[in-house]
Amino acid sequence: MTRPVIIVLATALLLLPALMVRAWIGSAVDRLAEAERAAEGKPEQVAVAANANEAYCTADLKKILRRVLTSCGLINASGRGCQPLDAKNVATMSGADFNALFLPMQGRGGIIQYDKAATALDATDTALVEKVFADRRGASYFLVVSRASPEGSEGSNRELSRGRADAVLEHLQTTFHDPELAKQVGLLWLGEEFAQLEQSFCNWQRSGSQESCLAEELNRSAFITWIDCTL
Amino acid sequence: MTAMRPTLSSLGALVFALSGFVFSSVSTHDFAAHLDRQVHGVHCSFLPGLGAADASGTSGCHLTLMSPYSSVWRDSVWGGVPVSLPGMSVFAFLTFFALALVVGRRQRDPNAAAFLLAATLLPVGASIVMGRYAMELDAACKLCIGTYISSFGCFVSAFLGFLGARREPSTEAEPLKPGWLAAAFVLGVMFVVIPVRVYMSSAPDFSKYVGQCGELLQQQDPNGVLVPLGPQDSSLGMIEVLDPLCPACKGFEERFSAMPASTEVSRKALLFPLDPTCNWMVSDAIHPGACTLSEAILCAGDDAESVLEWSFAEHDPIMEATKQDPAAAARLVKAQFPRLASCIGSASAKSRLNQALRWAVKNQLRVLTPQVFVRGLRLCDEDTDLGLDYALPRLMEKARNRTVPEALPAEPGADLTVARARPPVRPAGQPGARPEIVNEAAPAADPAPAPAPEPAPEAAAEPAPAADPAAEPPHPVDLPVPPEGAP
Repeated sequence: MTRPVIIVLATALLLLPALMVRAWIGSAVDRLAEAERAAEGKPEQVAVAANANEAYCTADLKKILRRVLTSCGLINASGRGCQPLDAKNVATMSGADFNALFLPMQGRGGIIQYDKAATALDATDTALVEKVFADRRGASYFLVVSRASPEGSEGSNRELSRGRADAVLEHLQTTFHDPELAKQVGLLWLGEEFAQLEQSFCNWQRSGSQESCLAEELNRSAFITWIDCTL
Repeated sequence: MTAMRPTLSSLGALVFALSGFVFSSVSTHDFAAHLDRQVHGVHCSFLPGLGAADASGTSGCHLTLMSPYSSVWRDSVWGGVPVSLPGMSVFAFLTFFALALVVGRRQRDPNAAAFLLAATLLPVGASIVMGRYAMELDAACKLCIGTYISSFGCFVSAFLGFLGARREPSTEAEPLKPGWLAAAFVLGVMFVVIPVRVYMSSAPDFSKYVGQCGELLQQQDPNGVLVPLGPQDSSLGMIEVLDPLCPACKGFEERFSAMPASTEVSRKALLFPLDPTCNWMVSDAIHPGACTLSEAILCAGDDAESVLEWSFAEHDPIMEATKQDPAAAARLVKAQFPRLASCIGSASAKSRLNQALRWAVKNQLRVLTPQVFVRGLRLCDEDTDLGLDYALPRLMEKARNRTVPEALPAEPGADLTVARARPPVRPAGQPGARPEIVNEAAPAADPAPAPAPEPAPEAAAEPAPAADPAAEPPHPVDLPVPPEGAP
């Protein structure tokens, strides 16, 4: 009597773990098949690393940016820097509207102020250039918009403006040794005839004297900023 | 004739064997549930089955389950065979034998009682070994503790039963003969072997997923943003995308370093801190302080592994302190590694970290950590925990047969990324051993055409910047040192 009971017990308890495990694995396999069926044909719901594209990247700003970048040699690799004539062509808007596009970058950009008739960067200028450039985050493009104040002839102002933009680029090249800098930095040198900076830009971080912010001082400058837009 | 009434010691052995069976079964069930390649909660209670599974991924049971000690033969079965399965079988056998003693009226048989006592030594020995591992892991696994208690309870009960049988041996029947005891031993072996064989034969074959989870678009590292970890003498390159304060990365590190295959690769790390201070792709600070720690690792050069190890070891206090005071991470790491103080937070360190993030953009990596690539082939996220020992060697084998060039040696300079445009997303860190994933859908790419590539500019040929002579010891990384007065 006892032997059959023991055999039954042995068989039942011998098979129990095996049956339980078989059932659990079968259930997992079914869930996997179900999940695969459900995922079939559906795009993956996972974020992918990408450049920043902030809310301030309006259609107008992107249009200007694309035109500037095209004219300035970033996209088509044709030369380096936008001349004033290019600027007029790419920015078919008033100087005030043009400047307004860059207002959202107040916390991001800076204004490098030069001495009168000078293109060289001093220590505070280079410090600000490096500070702004190092804070790239997800931005794709770095714009240098240089200017000259209305004093002097149009020709010499144009040269000054260009020299100021070039000075920033040269400093970036020697400091950051970026082999692809030319694909990141767009230069736009403006003369006295277009988009002079208004007094509201005095609130930006500037390399010049913080006590005074006269219009001519503000426009002997290079406006630098990363642009968090993708095109 | 002795009644079929169980003695107290038999009853004790039976109860503890059953409780051990229940604890082991729940543990095995939780383990086997992961064979669907999903993330699951784990039961962690002294009353298993009564509470909900813990999905936080922080319980001692979860930590133990994900540890290298939770299973065996991990390289031949995905996840391995859980050690709780033979445990379940042994307790089933002890249950059977204790019942058989009662039913067969052999509770006072000295030979049978001695056999039961010997059989209980197996779970006791296993509990001592596993308990030591649990202490090593610093994990309070309630299911495991329940199993240990059951093991010792069985042993004590069997010991008392043995003493009783010796003191008052049964006079009704001859003690069990050695032949019967040998048969019982064989039966006990079958109790273990059969479920293990069933598990191994029914576990799904996951080799079809190996190498099918994507690959790097550009393995080159012209800016030297990949940080070498360990010896670099293997031709098989492995890149790990990690966050120095990510618990899942720490878990991966522990599992990986315990693998024999870890010596067969030249491993490099891409720092991808899930911290919006530097990473625009996340909007919430999942790991506050991770940007600072990443800068420290980049600054450390040959000591990068030391900084990484320290970050993993101290990640909880660092994150807690940084939540209270954003400057705490910098303060802590500078105190631990004083020679990095001038580099951490510098423009050049920030720029280098930014280049690392841009490397991620260039390769359109997922916003999650950890991620592993072997010669460009991506290890599936589901294979970074339990399935690592199974999947990684197979991925390495597959990668060896690839002809994709290894990452180029680092050159001085920075990075440019022109990549498919996607906006930053809000991350949702997923705790547990699986990669920390940002699980929101990224909207479609900006339809505007991406800028075309440009020929390499002259700057590419410029020599590396000279090391800062004032730095003591010399700065180990090729970072341009900002002039005095620079931020």
